[in-house]
Amino acid sequence: MLTTLIRRELLDNLMTFRFAAAVFIMLLLVVANTAVLIKDYERRLASYNTAVKKNRKNLEETKTYSAVSLSIDRPPNPLSIFNVGLDKRLGNSLGVYYFYVPSLWNAGKHGSNNPLLNIFSSIDIVFIFEVVLSLLALVFAYDAVAGERERGTLRLVLTHPVRRGHILIAKYMSAMICLLIPLLMSFLLVLILLTTSNSVSLSTNDFLRSGGVVFTSLVYLSLFYLIGMLISTATHRTSTALILSMFVWGFLVLVYPNMILTAVETAPQGDTETSAYNQIKQIWEEFERERKQFLANDSVPGEDWDFGLGGKGYSFWGDEDDASSLHYFNYYTGFHYETLSKESEPQVPHAQDYHRFLGLQLVKTADRVWRVRNPALETIYVRPANMEWMLLKFSPVGLYDAATEAWTGTDLNGLQDFFTAVQRYQQAVVGYFLDKKIFESRLWFVADKDTIDWDILPQFYFQRSGIGINAKRALPALFLLLTINVVLFIGTFLIFVRREV
Amino acid sequence: MSWHITLFNITWRELYDNLNSLRFALTTVLLLALMVTNAVRHIREHPQRIQKYHDAVTESQGRLASHADDSLYMLAQRGPGYLYKKPSALYFCAAGGESLLPDRVEGGSPFGYAEDLTGVWKLKYPDANINLKRVGPDVTKVDWAFILCYVLSLIAILFTFDALSSERESGTLRLMLANAIPRHTVLIGKFLGAFISVGIPFTLAALVNLLIISTSSAVHLTPEAWGRLGVIFLIAFLYTCLFLALGLLVSARVQRSAVSLVILLLVWVTFVVFTPSTLASIASEFSPSLSSEALWKRHSHIQDELWNKYGRWLWSDELDEKTLTAKRDFFTQDAEGEERLRREYLTQQIAQVQHARAITRASPVTIAQHLLESFAGTGFERHVQFVENVQRYARQFREFVVDTDRADAQSLHIIGVREGMSKKKVAPEAIPKFEDTLNFNKDFNTRAMELLLLTLFVVVLLSGAYLAFVRVEV
Repeated sequence: MLTTLIRRELLDNLMTFRFAAAVFIMLLLVVANTAVLIKDYERRLASYNTAVKKNRKNLEETKTYSAVSLSIDRPPNPLSIFNVGLDKRLGNSLGVYYFYVPSLWNAGKHGSNNPLLNIFSSIDIVFIFEVVLSLLALVFAYDAVAGERERGTLRLVLTHPVRRGHILIAKYMSAMICLLIPLLMSFLLVLILLTTSNSVSLSTNDFLRSGGVVFTSLVYLSLFYLIGMLISTATHRTSTALILSMFVWGFLVLVYPNMILTAVETAPQGDTETSAYNQIKQIWEEFERERKQFLANDSVPGEDWDFGLGGKGYSFWGDEDDASSLHYFNYYTGFHYETLSKESEPQVPHAQDYHRFLGLQLVKTADRVWRVRNPALETIYVRPANMEWMLLKFSPVGLYDAATEAWTGTDLNGLQDFFTAVQRYQQAVVGYFLDKKIFESRLWFVADKDTIDWDILPQFYFQRSGIGINAKRALPALFLLLTINVVLFIGTFLIFVRREV
Repeated sequence: MSWHITLFNITWRELYDNLNSLRFALTTVLLLALMVTNAVRHIREHPQRIQKYHDAVTESQGRLASHADDSLYMLAQRGPGYLYKKPSALYFCAAGGESLLPDRVEGGSPFGYAEDLTGVWKLKYPDANINLKRVGPDVTKVDWAFILCYVLSLIAILFTFDALSSERESGTLRLMLANAIPRHTVLIGKFLGAFISVGIPFTLAALVNLLIISTSSAVHLTPEAWGRLGVIFLIAFLYTCLFLALGLLVSARVQRSAVSLVILLLVWVTFVVFTPSTLASIASEFSPSLSSEALWKRHSHIQDELWNKYGRWLWSDELDEKTLTAKRDFFTQDAEGEERLRREYLTQQIAQVQHARAITRASPVTIAQHLLESFAGTGFERHVQFVENVQRYARQFREFVVDTDRADAQSLHIIGVREGMSKKKVAPEAIPKFEDTLNFNKDFNTRAMELLLLTLFVVVLLSGAYLAFVRVEV
């Protein structure tokens, strides 16, 4: 009986104009946007490759350890085509130095894209689904029950010994099969376009992750279909059901996400920034005092820090201050000497002594600063952002977005993975410097006796988190979506069972 | 029965039907909620924005005064400092992506070649990547542009999709036409009825919004701002007409209202949600990509040439005219060269964006958005105007330094070198002040063109609806 019902519903749905129009528009949008998105990805990848090459060249031209500036670049995520998340917005170039702990908040942008183009919003595949699929689901659902009731066919069906639950299930199943067709077709199209483009390389895990996106899309789709069916069951006339569905759609998809974040102020209260900034300043002042004390007590009179070193090359020093990322240090030096003048030679042991002290001190200070910086930055940037994400999750759109972002790894967690890897790399480099006694070596400031083999330095390596971690991060939102599905189905069922036909 | 009475009757009947309907109630609630949110946000945020602007300007002016107090040379060296974009009081009408655009230009930061050797100031346009630290979700701020372009257009469709098709379905259209009511009267009556029914909740919500904003002491709206608000209202109605006409067109052509709605929704989604950003992406794909590296290569090339030409004078302590002139030439040419390169780069970036914006005009939504932005005094065109204002002021500032120096007979009139310039202090009041003004007359052509384009859309759709309705079998 159930299969008969499903077949009847399926034929009803498949032969309709709305189905053809839906599939057509969906595919059109998906193809046009995928082409644009792949182009964009290719450009970002090219920019990444150029940056990596340039950094390597810079590194090889560096003669001394103190002048080294390691720059790590973040490759674009190929799955950002599905959901761009934060992949494009956040910085993708991060300097690694021994005197501060690198983080997301220091990252800049490599590449030469025009930043003014940011005023145009960018569209990804998930956004198309978010808007079009939900609309389609409602268009399919609004007359599912109300239409049959109006036409009287529902009465006719119920004269047969059919369970009411079966009717609902049949309707649900057949509509889902219908909606699955445009969904799967567009996904396959995207994947075909992705695999034919030779710049995008997807691993097996990436295919599994996009499978996760498909599954989440399906759950999202079913949620909107159930909303439509609930409305259709609860109202008497199809026209009312239609208007109500459209308003619910407009509210959930269009209005709520934008309105809630306009209405709720999430900016952090209090003066975390100032107090943390002052603390950091204090730590650096303390560092400066100890440095001066060392210079005063060493065997060379005076507080001169460069010990009159001179030769072919240059030295540089400076301080840096960027209050908005609590990025403050008041002392760094670098030497890029190829040869040293004869007069400087007796000073070399003193300089080595000084830099042994300084290197260790800077590493320690950087660590102390990070312990103040990290929680403060969390309070200033991450906590309000998490609050905003949480508010968005009251709408299915927000849940869908969060879950798909987690699958593609373009959410904050996924990006933080990269920055954590850079932090680990910085620790490895500092560890290497300490192990090999590089701070006190002659190569620290002059390259006349030895050259540096940059390949021995620890290499940066980053791989996106495994599929299991993606799934774990997507699970809470996905679970909520599923729960809402179940609640809606039960609600529809209860109303349908109790209603007069 | 004369035609205007019939028209009045049809309009009235339509209006009466709509006012009692569910969609009217829902529309009113939705628009009110959005407009109140918008107003509350504005009165909370706007004073902060103004305060920030004033604080920044005061600080910048203070620094300028202290430089003036030192000497004219300090002004020539340090320049006018940071120049800020004045926030618009009509920000709530259209935020226009302001949060993604820089709000200042730096007129300063001379290059220090050595301890006693500092060049002269130049204009530096800041990096527009200002969202690098924001990790929150991407959402559109609820402003009038959002309410209008997205929500109201959807509502307009929901009010008209069944205007003709449902009457045809129920057979009442036949009845009406049998009573010798001309078809155009029916169409106009339907149009007016829907227009008034959408207009009432929108006007109500907008008035509540303006009431909240204007009674709050935090925001001060000038008479000129009210005038602009009037124009924004007109644009809003014109834009609503467009979607009403579209709804009528589809409703006249299609037999069943459900099909009519599906078509309309798909058209709406394509034009409102997707066309603007997709077209912009495609357009920016075609424009040449810019590289800041090429820029810096050219810069270092210019600098090398200058070093070769003037290098030998730079480290000299001689105070004869030849050395000072050489130093002056080096400083000014270096700063000018850098400023020119930066300006060129910015001009290219702006051209790229303008090109993309021109192409997105294929969608009426973008036209409406551009119009709202330009009348609210926000958005990209406004930013371009701000940059032009800054460039004009930079010229004025340089002329002021030259003129003041010329007035001092003891000066050697070699600008940019301490020893070659007037030693007198400068009264801070005498320095020209940067006034970031919004000029409406400028570039009115674009706006007139956009308004006409929008009107054209409405006329085409309305006549399309008329033709479709006249030719269709009932």
